[in-house]
Amino acid sequence: MKAGENMLLTVEKEVQHRTTILKVNGLIDITTTNLLDVYLEEINGMDTVILDFSGLEFIDSTGIGAIMNAIYASEEKNFTLKLQGIDELTDELFETVGLYEILAAFQGEVI
Amino acid sequence: MYKDKLTYSRQLDQEELSSMDKTLKREINLARNIQSQLLNGKTPVFQGGKVSGASIPARLIGGDYYDFYPLVNGKLRIVIGDVMGKGIPAAMLMILTRGAFRSAAETTKSPAETLMSMNQALYSDLRILKSFVTLLCADWDPASSVLTYANAGHHLPLFIQAKQEKVEEVPKVKGIMIGGLPNQQYTNKSIQLSNQDTVFFYTDGIIEALNEDKEQYRLERLIQTLLLHKEKGVEEIQTSVLASVEAFTNGLAQRDDITMVVLKINDQQVEITSLNSPLMK
Repeated sequence: MKAGENMLLTVEKEVQHRTTILKVNGLIDITTTNLLDVYLEEINGMDTVILDFSGLEFIDSTGIGAIMNAIYASEEKNFTLKLQGIDELTDELFETVGLYEILAAFQGEVI
Repeated sequence: MYKDKLTYSRQLDQEELSSMDKTLKREINLARNIQSQLLNGKTPVFQGGKVSGASIPARLIGGDYYDFYPLVNGKLRIVIGDVMGKGIPAAMLMILTRGAFRSAAETTKSPAETLMSMNQALYSDLRILKSFVTLLCADWDPASSVLTYANAGHHLPLFIQAKQEKVEEVPKVKGIMIGGLPNQQYTNKSIQLSNQDTVFFYTDGIIEALNEDKEQYRLERLIQTLLLHKEKGVEEIQTSVLASVEAFTNGLAQRDDITMVVLKINDQQVEITSLNSPLMK
């Protein structure tokens, strides 16, 4: 198994100047969130981090916790966090738990 | 000699591991019993309807939570919640959440105030632990049959009106998860319930249950199931929903904790019970 892969989740990392794009493919749940956490810990010296969910198949509360970690990291490491590629079901979930409001409060931006 | 020592050392490690394993299993079972007893505690008796709660953890213990708290003004405060994660860590936070609810319910006048107080009490701990809890809190007034509710990032309950062949979410009320941001205000909303109306509170383990094709059970199936069984009593509705989810997942291991609370109005009824506890009359 390659680095950046889990049986149920893969993360594709792309760096453009001072922007990191992390494209998540598969499931983000209790069995896979640590992989996303590893990528977030590696981020340093970036202006923007984009989490791309266009390959997301499923996310549960632990997965939302991983995004919360990304929001906290954006404050600690001083980067703007953007979420993109969110489908209707996931958008509804993020809206319900108040994730967008928390992100906005931490000076993030949703695109 | 060296080999003998090595062998002896390895046997000792295995014994120690075996002993630790037994201790751990015993303690997990004790923790499970504690959680089960707290979750299925005494429930009071009220006029005007019946309420029932059930929680099935995905693992030995879980992070879902429901509770009933009788208020001195004659209302019943209901809460249902979902702690981020699963297993022992979530169960520990569930106990913390229960304590915060019981304490807040005693001193606050409405569901919105309860959620605000709980967020104030839990925010620092949850932030340190990088966790959160979604909660739906509601006051049911048996005298007026009004249900007042406030939301902290949880799924809205489903309202099954006896006079109409439809099931829909109660009117929307927003609020962010407990532990998301400090100093949060929450909003109350109310609905009038009539005889035989039912309100179904639930956690995401139901609608996110996956089948072999990785399809989710989803809200639409839950609504259909509730429509099909809306004439039944509260425990039977719970049993029917569980049976439907089990049929959908077709024997696959349960991925997430499943919890539901059913409130049914019955002008003639004078009892409240929890599924796993004796009827208190």
